[in-house]
Amino acid sequence: MWTDRELLTALRRGDDDAWEEAFRRLYPSAFAAARHPLAALTPSEAEDIAIEALTLLLPKVNQITELDELRPLVVTIASRKAISEKRRQLADKRGGGDVTSLDAMQDDETLRFEPAEQLASHLTGTDLRELSQLLDAALSHLEPRHAQLLRDFLVYHVSYKELAEKYRMPIGSIGVNLARSLDKVRAHLKTSPKLWKELIAYLR
Amino acid sequence: MDAESFTNLALRVLAREATDEERRALDAAMTSNLAYREEFSQLKIAHEVLRILAPMTEATQAREPELPAYRLNELRTAVRQHFGPANQRASTMNNHGLLTPALRWLLGGGVMTALAIVVVLMSFSDRMVEIGLYQTDTVRGGDTPFSSADVPAAHVVTFNQDAPFDQWKKTLGWNQHAKVWIDNENDLLHVVRRDKNGQIIEQTEPLAPTNREQREQISRAVESLQKK
Repeated sequence: MWTDRELLTALRRGDDDAWEEAFRRLYPSAFAAARHPLAALTPSEAEDIAIEALTLLLPKVNQITELDELRPLVVTIASRKAISEKRRQLADKRGGGDVTSLDAMQDDETLRFEPAEQLASHLTGTDLRELSQLLDAALSHLEPRHAQLLRDFLVYHVSYKELAEKYRMPIGSIGVNLARSLDKVRAHLKTSPKLWKELIAYLR
Repeated sequence: MDAESFTNLALRVLAREATDEERRALDAAMTSNLAYREEFSQLKIAHEVLRILAPMTEATQAREPELPAYRLNELRTAVRQHFGPANQRASTMNNHGLLTPALRWLLGGGVMTALAIVVVLMSFSDRMVEIGLYQTDTVRGGDTPFSSADVPAAHVVTFNQDAPFDQWKKTLGWNQHAKVWIDNENDLLHVVRRDKNGQIIEQTEPLAPTNREQREQISRAVESLQKK
């Protein structure tokens, strides 16, 4: 059994067993990130992206100081790759001449991925870790049922209709609940103004 | 429209859940109240950020699925391609960080130094064979005195007293190859030499009966010693 320090040292010298251990530990996160709802890749496509993201850690291992940094790193890599892949797939379709009108162009799905790609590519592992802690803290201040509702909406991009069915709520109440919870989370995230400003800057 | 209704409507639009009628209502609200426009802008950013990042933060907590076994070889290949073959990695790096490479350098240096010393010592070592005699033996029997001219490859050392001669017999210096001396009391020719392993070996053989034969015997012994 490796300690984190031993594992990182072994990874740096290219120890096969150490890398296998790291790949096993990090694959679930890489796969989950590759299944980002914005990208909506198939499990098979996400698996390819996750494996590619793991291999991209190889040249990065000398740039980190703690083993913990690898997980957020592989998540940002896999998310960005997944979103880029989706954008490429849609661009290929668009290249077939399906989109013609200006309205259709403005509503083009590929345009929605630009801020996501932009944000994911600028986000560091440290940012993601800090954001993760902030988000956990923000959600912990909500009622568990409302926190789970917001999580389903934000993390899994579940539609209002499906949320209404899952939580046995009138569809009109879903929006009200989400709006209130989102306001509270937003207020909590603003307690870290530096990070919040950085995030907003990437989206502009 | 109150603030809560506005946020609800704005979120429905952002989540693409709104009807055309709701979109128009939102537009109208923002046109009549600029504060709503700013609020919508802020909400849009928060929505965007969280829809992108919340799945990522959730992914950091994921503990399944397991890495598919059939993808392992692909990953191992990537490791080999990045770091080089495992045997090369093992030869250049090891589990003990910098300690063993440092020791290897030191020991390697030590071996090289030892070899260098041996080479130097060998270059300084004396391949000359010494022949020890009593001064009186050189004029034994009234024949021509035994001299270096009889065995040019050897160095003749003569003694007048027992003590220094005995002392000479006992020692073979680190740079000396061999010594030969005549034991007239026992009619033996003594040969002392250092073998390839550095050990000192002493051998005796019966002394030839005549001076001439003794010279030839000593010459042969010296020649033989110089070949060893």
